[in-house]
Amino acid sequence: MTFLYPLGLLGLIGIPILIIIYIIKSKYTEQLVASTYLWTLSEKFLKRKNPISRMTGLISLILQLLAVLFISLAIAHPIVTIPNAANEYCFVLDGTGSMNMVSEEGKTRFEMGKEKISELVGDAVDGSRFSLVYYGDGTRVVFEGETDKEKVLVLLDEIEPSHCETDTAEAISEAQKYFNESPSILTYLVTDTAYAAHGNVEVINVAGKEKNAAINSIIPVLSAGRLNVSGNAISYLADATFTVKLYVDDAAEANAVETVEVKAGESTPFELACQCKSYKSIKVVLESDDSLALDNEVIVYNVKSGDDSYKILAVSPNPFFIRSALSATGYSNIDVMLPDEYTGQSGYGLYIFDSYDPSELPRDGAVWIINPSASVDNSGFSVQGDVTLEDPSTVTMSKDSSSVVRKLTAGVGGKDIYITRFVKCGLYRKFTPLFTYQGNPVVFTGTNTYGNREVVFAFSLQDSNLPVLVDFIALVKNFMEYSFPEVIEKSSYYCGDELSVNVIANCDSIRVDSPGGKISYLDTAGAISDYTLTEVGTYTVTVTVSDNPRVFKIYSELPESERLPQASAEDFSLTGTAEPGGFDGTYDSLLIVFICLAVIFAADWAVYCYEKYQLR
Amino acid sequence: MAKFTVNEELLQQIETLQTLLKNNIAGMFGGNRKSKTYGSSCEFVDYRDYMPGDDVTKIDWNAYARFDKLYEKLYLDERQMHTRIYIDASRSMDYGRGQKAEQALRLAATLAYISICEMEKVSIFIIRDSQVIDVLNGIVGKEAYIGSIGKLNEIEFDGDSFISDAILQSRVGHGDGMSVIISDFLTDNNYEDAIDHLADKRRDILCIQVLSREEMNPQLRGKMHLFDSENTRKSYRKKIDREIVRAYKDALQYTVDRIKNYCEARGAAYMLTNAEDSMAEIFFGKLTDMEVLK
Repeated sequence: MTFLYPLGLLGLIGIPILIIIYIIKSKYTEQLVASTYLWTLSEKFLKRKNPISRMTGLISLILQLLAVLFISLAIAHPIVTIPNAANEYCFVLDGTGSMNMVSEEGKTRFEMGKEKISELVGDAVDGSRFSLVYYGDGTRVVFEGETDKEKVLVLLDEIEPSHCETDTAEAISEAQKYFNESPSILTYLVTDTAYAAHGNVEVINVAGKEKNAAINSIIPVLSAGRLNVSGNAISYLADATFTVKLYVDDAAEANAVETVEVKAGESTPFELACQCKSYKSIKVVLESDDSLALDNEVIVYNVKSGDDSYKILAVSPNPFFIRSALSATGYSNIDVMLPDEYTGQSGYGLYIFDSYDPSELPRDGAVWIINPSASVDNSGFSVQGDVTLEDPSTVTMSKDSSSVVRKLTAGVGGKDIYITRFVKCGLYRKFTPLFTYQGNPVVFTGTNTYGNREVVFAFSLQDSNLPVLVDFIALVKNFMEYSFPEVIEKSSYYCGDELSVNVIANCDSIRVDSPGGKISYLDTAGAISDYTLTEVGTYTVTVTVSDNPRVFKIYSELPESERLPQASAEDFSLTGTAEPGGFDGTYDSLLIVFICLAVIFAADWAVYCYEKYQLR
Repeated sequence: MAKFTVNEELLQQIETLQTLLKNNIAGMFGGNRKSKTYGSSCEFVDYRDYMPGDDVTKIDWNAYARFDKLYEKLYLDERQMHTRIYIDASRSMDYGRGQKAEQALRLAATLAYISICEMEKVSIFIIRDSQVIDVLNGIVGKEAYIGSIGKLNEIEFDGDSFISDAILQSRVGHGDGMSVIISDFLTDNNYEDAIDHLADKRRDILCIQVLSREEMNPQLRGKMHLFDSENTRKSYRKKIDREIVRAYKDALQYTVDRIKNYCEARGAAYMLTNAEDSMAEIFFGKLTDMEVLK
């Protein structure tokens, strides 16, 4: 037994003091009475006294000594050590979208899971250590090696389920780390997924017999003044008949209604149609009183600007390649001029400087710089000189998995691109290299000082076989899309998807409002800013350009894998052999001490009353 | 020193009361008490034939007119009784707030007044140690009563008292009235000889036991060392609990029953009174019910 406040035991001094008081205290109160005759006579009428009555004084002393003892103990706050009673616990809590399903009891699976964990924590011996790995919108360790039960419960209470899907593997991997450190750890996976076998892990399945239905694959087609919306409805556990409604532009009443008969587990197509010339959004609602409302509604927003007319100025002594490539990609609105003719013209969406270094970069459009020979102010890079290669050498395409690289290299093989000469560049702004030669960026993209998008070919097209490769057409096409970006290219996503927002020129800020009211501001320094969608519902993206806000809306759906009421997954186990064991636990006996104190005080009071008021 | 005050209103009320004496009257002539012998009172009781030498003023002329024969009217004789009141003046009577002593004085004064109203002679004594000491001796008439009753306030309650020893040594009279003993009787038998002696002397006896509320229903609890007010060498040391109190009450009941039975056996009247009982309750209630007064 240990004491949190050992100085409290000084209170035990009260025990000898109390005994001394009892010894020196006058035990009989002296009093003069008219006559002792009757008192003396009463001895003859006195019946044999109850032995307990004779001991009441001693009992009172004992109770008061015990009271002093227990008060001292209460102040000292005793902690009892229980050998090998404590354990280490690791909870892996599923916070994916399906955990939002509501059971018949009116609680979500996630709430039930948290209750199960709370019960385990409550039952655990004090001194046990608790760790919690949460996986929902990503995997994270909520607490680690925590011994304070109250803190554990508070932290547990703060966790909310996500709307995303996340692979269990990463969470299991985290649990594996704890298992490796302590093979006696008790690992619990709290989930709604069924696992047939799960070595070294106890699975607490919180799934019930919840019903769920959903709609997906909503595709609106606007044609000849008529809007046709197709989609699929699915009921996961039982055959059902649903009503599907279409609302155009937040209409109060449905524009189209369809009844769909759905067989269990089968995706059943449906179509909704109405008269419509244009729309900003459509909402399709599946009327179903099921356990998960998140997947009963889909909104599709129309994000296309419709403005796809771009003016291009190409300044090049030899614009053949670039003109051919642009023409091949469908861009024909091109003005071409020789370097001598360029006097700082403006009004174009894209300026292409091929083998020409302008004295000043244009401010009103994207810029391509091909084969620079000298540093250009505000371009974000400096030219450090020509490098001529002895033999044609291949360049290496970036393997970066960022959305920018993926987008700009889409459709590009990237093999067998040779160069014989390149311009060595030093980048002092944030650029994304797409091709490099021995670590030197030869094709890279980014933004210049004016905030306009910039594409740089650090070699002459004549010094490379790139213009004759199919990759060149794909690359130019990607660069054109990059140069004339739609702010948002699509409006329908799934939770967990990355929303890519193209940072347009002179963009001041990009604000994202989540369905739950969370506000985020995205980085506008790069060409594309990514944002991970974690909630089901409508996100509002506000892009402010020169104090002029443009509002876009997108809709994030629940991932289809999270709509299954009774999901199953492959068996898994933690690698290694579990070992029995534990460590010394503690028991906070303060409550018992207080109970004992209360009993002692009650008993002492009873003895007092017994003596004083003769309560018999 | 216990003090009492005379409640004049009460005295006016009790003037209507009269003591009922059981024994033959042998008092002095001229009193107000009807004797069993013929005398000169106004209360007619019988006729007898006139004999020469009889008082002619008592001839019933109406009877002579009817029967043509002289008849002498006979009247009851009236005797003056002597009421003797003994007050136990031991310290135990005046311990605490003096309620017992005050009650004893009030009782004595009131009883004395009743007797005075009946034209009787009244003496009030105190008993201290083994002596009977005069306080008021043979007073007659209200004037004398009012002039001397204040002496009761000079009584000091102190020391011990031996009722039997004291009364046996004193003159108690013979068949000439009532003897009243006012005491707490918290003693072992020292009153029995006195009662016997008074009974032998054909005295009407009234024993009034005065106890305080604390004595009748003690509230003492816990470890107590009690000392007797009359003799501090007598003490009682005990942890007083409910059982002890119960035994005390049994002892009290025993004491009361013993004196009551003893009195009844000797034709004496006995009354137990709380020191806080009112005089009206005692005189118009208890004593009237006991037929000591009417």
